Amino acid sequence: MRSLETVELTKAFGGNVVLDKTSVSFRHGKVNALIGPNGSGKTTFFNCVTGMIRPDSGRVTYGGTDITRRTPHVIARAGLGRTFQLCRVFPRMTVLDNVLAATRPHGVNLFRGARGRAEVDRARDWLTRLGIEHLAGAEARNLSWGQQKLLELAGVLMSEPETVLLDEPAGGVNPALLDRIGGLVRDLNAEGRTFVIVEHNMDLVMSISDHIVVFDRGRPIAEGPPSVIRTDERVLGAYLGV
Amino acid sequence: MPSASERLLTPTRAAGGVALLAFAAVALAYPSIAPNPYLLSVGIVVLNYAVLSTSWNFVGGFTGYISLGHGALAGLGAYGTGLLVTKAGLPSFVALAAAAVMVAVLAVPLGYAALRVRGASFVIVSIALVLVTLLVFQSWASFTGGSRGLNVPRPFPGLLRPEHHRVFFYLFLALLAVALLVWWLIDRSRFGLGLKAIREDEDKAEALGTPTFAYKLVVFVVSAFFTGLAGGLYALWFGDLDPIFQFSILTGSYMVLMALLGGVRNLFGPLVGALLVGSALEYFKVEFGNTPLHLVATGVLLALVVLFMPDGVLPALGALFRRFSPTTDSSIREVTAAELAAQRTGGDLHAQSRNG
Repeated sequence: MRSLETVELTKAFGGNVVLDKTSVSFRHGKVNALIGPNGSGKTTFFNCVTGMIRPDSGRVTYGGTDITRRTPHVIARAGLGRTFQLCRVFPRMTVLDNVLAATRPHGVNLFRGARGRAEVDRARDWLTRLGIEHLAGAEARNLSWGQQKLLELAGVLMSEPETVLLDEPAGGVNPALLDRIGGLVRDLNAEGRTFVIVEHNMDLVMSISDHIVVFDRGRPIAEGPPSVIRTDERVLGAYLGV
Repeated sequence: MPSASERLLTPTRAAGGVALLAFAAVALAYPSIAPNPYLLSVGIVVLNYAVLSTSWNFVGGFTGYISLGHGALAGLGAYGTGLLVTKAGLPSFVALAAAAVMVAVLAVPLGYAALRVRGASFVIVSIALVLVTLLVFQSWASFTGGSRGLNVPRPFPGLLRPEHHRVFFYLFLALLAVALLVWWLIDRSRFGLGLKAIREDEDKAEALGTPTFAYKLVVFVVSAFFTGLAGGLYALWFGDLDPIFQFSILTGSYMVLMALLGGVRNLFGPLVGALLVGSALEYFKVEFGNTPLHLVATGVLLALVVLFMPDGVLPALGALFRRFSPTTDSSIREVTAAELAAQRTGGDLHAQSRNG
């Protein structure tokens, strides 16, 4: 079981404690959602888990292995892929190269071409699956926001992660694309991938999640299946303002 | 595998190929057609700039890290070669190779320290490298000759000056060809794609599993090796080294300017930049002597490039060619679910018809 867990994870920026001894566990093989008000520490949590920023204290384990303070590329190789809150693509590379850049294994070999047939076929398969294969030759910076979201996801999937952390995949995306992303998450989950999704779109969260963790002020205040979270009074008070 | 459109010989590529062949023909014939030894020596200076700028472009072009300290690496290559010849008695070209390897080895701790910072911080660290090496080589006069300079014996003492120039012209040309070949190999490799990902967004590249620090360090060492070779070859050709010129911030600045002018993302960008800037520098020096006018002209040139051709001359020319050629770009309009399904069905039908 390659479950993702944190134990008393703490991170403060100056006097602002963003993660306050946060201990959570995400279910392997499930679609997990991490929700909470703005500033509740969701993205900082992702950044600490993926090594983008160092926690002040606490531990992150993945599949029982301590990955705290490992560099992001080592964590990525361990099987944790992620997208970013503000969508990030390689703007002046083509769509195809954006996906190929995630090809494994990495290494210094001048004679291993970047565009081997197998890699290109696999990259095009992901682009096709995400519905942007027709843009393979376009520069990523020329794509719309929604298309860049899809491209970012294609790149992450090309790196073959077991667990995918999606930071606000629905942000700025039109309803048609939203359906496509939601459907894709469910399909990929059915194929065995674990998801942890930070998202504010409650319709999406409730429709695709198996397990939801709710953050408030850097701490989990509730967790459970959507049916439970939807009626949890603490969640209604802290997040939905009811 | 490249798509059909990627394999096509576009007008831009055809023009580039013709330009490359023309350059190669002129370069090979230049020692024979140069009217006098002075102009032949100008050709060597320009080739030296081209090698230096191409060497710089291993780091600047692939990773986007702007080093102004590469002048120090060239100076170390030059002094390393000179000192190994004069102090250790090594044969000239053995000293050249040994000095370049030493510069590459030294680049490991230098890069380890410098590449931990990005952006303006990296630029400042690289400038510090030039200043520190200048102070060391000026002050350590008992070993380096200090401000009195260091005379490096010629490797071919029997040759007259024109023949000496001719031999070194071809040596610099061969070194440039090797540097370009290695740059091209990196450019088309998976390693090169990782480096370019660093240039575009280092954090994202790291998050995708690219060992960014190791990649940067390797390419910095490769860059230092070629820069050291260029500096060492210059020492053997010119024969007289002075720390104030060898460890000058201007050397690194010229490398950056040339690469920017030609186009840092292009294999031949630094070469084109060297041809333009190197020739202009020599012209200004001849016309206006040892005035700072050539520096003013350099500054103006840099400003013009940044304002009007931020990607450099070659990308600007490429864009000009593409304007007159039929576009192969696809529409980026978002497709609806129905259109997507239709595309897929069409693709499936197409695949079925291909499979019989």
